[in-house]
Amino acid sequence: MVNLPRRLFQPPWEFRESSLFTAVAVIAGFIMQYAASGRGVPQTHLPYNALFLALFAVTVISAGVAFRDRSFAKWLGGIPLGLCLIFAIALLSLIGGVVPQTAVEAGSLPAMLGLNQIFSSWPFALTILLFLGNLGLSLSWRLVPFKLQNLQFILFHAGFWIALSCGIFGAPDLQRLVMKVDEGRESNLGYSMESEAPLQLPFSVFLHHFSLEEYPPQLFLFDPQSGQPLEELSKATTLVKKGVKASWKGVDVEVLDFIPYALEGKNGIPEAADRTAGIAFAKVRITSKAAPVEGWISTGSPMLKPYALPCGKLILLMTQGSPKAFLSEVTVHNQEGLSTKATLEVNHPITFAGWKLYQMGYDKNAGRWSQYSIIEVIHDPWLPAVYLGFFMIMAGNLLFFWNGIKQKEVKS
Amino acid sequence: MKFDFNTAALLAILFWATGSLLTLIALKVPALKLPARLLTIAGTVVVFCFITSYWILLDRPPLRTLGETRLWYAALIPLVGFLVEYRWKIGWLKFALMAFAGFFLVINMLHPEVFDKTLMPALQSPWFIPHVVVYLVGYVLLFASSVMAWYNVSLQLWHNKNDRAESVSHYLALLGFVLLSFGLIFGALWAKEAWGHYWTWDPKETWAFLTWLAYLGYLHAWRYKIDRAKLQWYLALSFVVLLVCWFGVNYLPSAANSVHTYSQS
Ligand code: HEM
Repeated sequence: MVNLPRRLFQPPWEFRESSLFTAVAVIAGFIMQYAASGRGVPQTHLPYNALFLALFAVTVISAGVAFRDRSFAKWLGGIPLGLCLIFAIALLSLIGGVVPQTAVEAGSLPAMLGLNQIFSSWPFALTILLFLGNLGLSLSWRLVPFKLQNLQFILFHAGFWIALSCGIFGAPDLQRLVMKVDEGRESNLGYSMESEAPLQLPFSVFLHHFSLEEYPPQLFLFDPQSGQPLEELSKATTLVKKGVKASWKGVDVEVLDFIPYALEGKNGIPEAADRTAGIAFAKVRITSKAAPVEGWISTGSPMLKPYALPCGKLILLMTQGSPKAFLSEVTVHNQEGLSTKATLEVNHPITFAGWKLYQMGYDKNAGRWSQYSIIEVIHDPWLPAVYLGFFMIMAGNLLFFWNGIKQKEVKS
Repeated sequence: MKFDFNTAALLAILFWATGSLLTLIALKVPALKLPARLLTIAGTVVVFCFITSYWILLDRPPLRTLGETRLWYAALIPLVGFLVEYRWKIGWLKFALMAFAGFFLVINMLHPEVFDKTLMPALQSPWFIPHVVVYLVGYVLLFASSVMAWYNVSLQLWHNKNDRAESVSHYLALLGFVLLSFGLIFGALWAKEAWGHYWTWDPKETWAFLTWLAYLGYLHAWRYKIDRAKLQWYLALSFVVLLVCWFGVNYLPSAANSVHTYSQS
């Protein structure tokens, strides 16, 4: 039997038709982006985006079920087109992974083609829409009629469909705002990246107290000539506490005494003080080629200057420890009379009336003495849907893993 | 215990090397089989012991810097070699993987890091360890899969073929993909708690997504009954994407905006 090579567009369609189709879609996307002078896809908000998405899902699934025997439909929902679209998404993401996604001069070519905001550009949107169509068709054939053996397939593909579509369609409804709240005051103003003017939030935050916990201070032997600290022999930066020793080439330092919170006393000797006022003091002995030196050094604060000790041409410094934890004690309340007292900490956001509140920052210059706290507030009504998708993918993943490790040989 | 990386690294390399040598001699002298196996395993145990003591010394999981992840890589990667030998009776892979593990330890000896006990607040999360460890194990499996694929590719260049070796590279890729998927989702769930949003197309996230897509493409191509011998090329090359994700991101122009680059110091 002679096996003639299949000509382009002679059914059944496969990779060549798929790559052509995908390339046309991506190029059309770039042309649309250019024609719109670099403005990305218009943003639709609830409920219209949800309506559109639901309509799209129903259309794809019912078209898949209705035309399941047509070879064109099989191609549209098949793996070859899926692979080409995955490749296109990868390529567009690659642009996003290499070109910095930051504002560039309007009217320049990258801006006109949307290369600097690829994930909200027309080519990306078109590719994702086609991808969702392709994935949805393949899904429709496994959903109807439902069989338990298809569960793994359904969890993976439906999970990804839901997470991707809700993540992208829901993006315009995501609100991320930043609040700056002073200690002992209340605020209901949120600032966004997009505009200078603040937005009135549907709740307000009262900051009782901001506090910051630090790691112990660190010792540095500083070379004023090079402007660099020298590296310790142990390759570690020493955290200061009583009895600790640190060594550099030709210089040894021992911490004889350490007071985490202290103020300078009458004759230069520090005295323990309370945490709000005091700074860290350490009494050190420096041994080097010259005679040993003993003295107090301190970290300083916005109000107090630090003490250092000279060591030949070098200077021994103690710097404030890096932040270990910082938290804000707040009361959040709204017009409806809902009120919560809570502690905000990094990695421990709180939820209030559909909003999530995050500890974000503080006055970096003042550190522990910061008079305000910076709080990020986020409203994302689509989050439960995206998480549903995530958990379906993870469930599919477990099944896949289980079936994967059971087999040894590849069935061909 | 005194912290000394060089001793631990040299000891591990010594164990792996003598273990490998004995394994070869054991082909002639079967009595040496057991000591040979014990020695190779001892090498890995040494690295794990070191990681444990390092963890205690630092007072935080040693998963923060590039050098620290290389340490885990060195500990985990020979295990995949042992697994492949145990399940698929292919013995040579473990030698290659022990050699790579030794290589990672040598890199760490040449570039000693300035270690820092502090851990920034965003990393103090119950997600930190599962996310990074799942990724590490995934990378290890995919690395082994690609070594196997290179082997298959070279067999093909000599007009040869080994079906079992092809199924090994496939299953390692499959398991690796499962772990990448978990890593990606754990990362997203953690990002929501720590940084406020589950996905921001940060360069590191974008590259992790690209890596995942590469293996997703592989699995579907494999399902579609594309010539599986040709797919060995695909697997062999996919690892390049993964390497960019792991090391390269720090050097890309977009990296300045990333929150996830491993700190260099
Ligand atoms: C572009 C759209 C996609 C199409 C058309 C598609 C289609 C398919 C088909 C037909 C199979 C074979 C199922 C079987 O034989 O039982 C399959 C397998 C699979 N798909 Fe997809 N898929 C797509 C996207 C995805 C995505 C986004 C994921 C991940 C979340 C995924 C994960 C999987 C997995 C893990 C398998 C199993 C592979 C194996 O058994 O070796 N697919 N897909």
